[in-house]
Amino acid sequence: MNRTDVLRYIAALRNGDPMIISPGLANYTIAEAKDEPLTIYNMELPYTTPMALGIALGWPERRVIAIEGDGSLLSGLGVLSTVARYQPKNLLIFVFDNGAYLTTGSGKAPTATLFGTDIEQLGRAAGMKNTRTVHDLDTAKDVVNAAFAQPGPWLVVAKVDKQDRPAERGAHSLPMYVYEAGLVFHRAALQERSKK
Amino acid sequence: MSKPREVKSSQRSVASTGKAGVRYRQEALEAFYDGFKAAGIDFAVFLPDSMLDGVEQLMIERGGIDIYECSREDEGIAMAMGAFLVGKHPVALMEGSGIGLSALILARGIVQKTPILLVAGHNSTLGERYDYHGATRMVTEPVLRALDVPFHVLFDPADIRRVIAEAHATVVGQRIPVGILLPSHVIREIGEGR
Repeated sequence: MNRTDVLRYIAALRNGDPMIISPGLANYTIAEAKDEPLTIYNMELPYTTPMALGIALGWPERRVIAIEGDGSLLSGLGVLSTVARYQPKNLLIFVFDNGAYLTTGSGKAPTATLFGTDIEQLGRAAGMKNTRTVHDLDTAKDVVNAAFAQPGPWLVVAKVDKQDRPAERGAHSLPMYVYEAGLVFHRAALQERSKK
Repeated sequence: MSKPREVKSSQRSVASTGKAGVRYRQEALEAFYDGFKAAGIDFAVFLPDSMLDGVEQLMIERGGIDIYECSREDEGIAMAMGAFLVGKHPVALMEGSGIGLSALILARGIVQKTPILLVAGHNSTLGERYDYHGATRMVTEPVLRALDVPFHVLFDPADIRRVIAEAHATVVGQRIPVGILLPSHVIREIGEGR
């Protein structure tokens, strides 16, 4: 299964939902699909789901999405216990598990999932109930649909291949600099909340 | 001055420190709660610690501020920053060691203009009895200084409300993290078990 196909499917369903994206190639696919103001691109490695969790708790009326890699989630697993503890129904965590630190250097350095670490089972052990691991695109679409339609929190692990690593990528190809990300996001959230 | 009330510590704090029966200055706890409320703080994250447990338990008891326990301080700061992004006014409470764990997420908050009010125990100079707090002592102020995060060491319990209000004003006005650091005597009775 190709990560890009799943990401595009999520992006099509997103409808402007707040989203935090871990460092890596997923940022470019999401940005190309549609740049939304309620997006923080390239979050520091362990803090994608924690920041999304804070958004979900602070804005319970809004669905919130965390886009994780296996490497990024493994760097801060404790947050799964915090998610399970507070059970925010509006939080969706999608983990793209390719078994490698694909964006880094040669892209050949393996993550622990290549040696048997099972991220879904880590989530279940932490106390999360709505967890799935998907291996093909059709199943992935079904589970993504369920995650968007049914109360969470959700932990969906998509086992993807490594074929979407581009040979070259230019600098500054995202639509927003990190320096302005907090301002844009904050202003958009306040504007949306003030209308309701 | 009113007689300090003994505040029951959380089971986890008692178990981890072996210091049951800590006596807090009730007026200081009240000042923190009132100060947070008056400043508009409506979202709090914490990792339990001996110094601030009384404040956290009072916040839970009184209500009016959404309060969440995290598994690590840096995780909690990221949570609080997320809450800020959607219009909340958060505070993160922790032992000073938590600042040591949080350099990267604090830096990220500075870079992307997502601030946070920090309240942390302070053992750099006054009242630190324990050798095993040596590492904690070495990271709190240096990390804040390294990131150019302004902080205020709060020595007088009478200043609690004003310092919270002014620090929060700087957080919101400048969109930067600001730290309030607490030596033990501000919040706990001197001479009691530490």
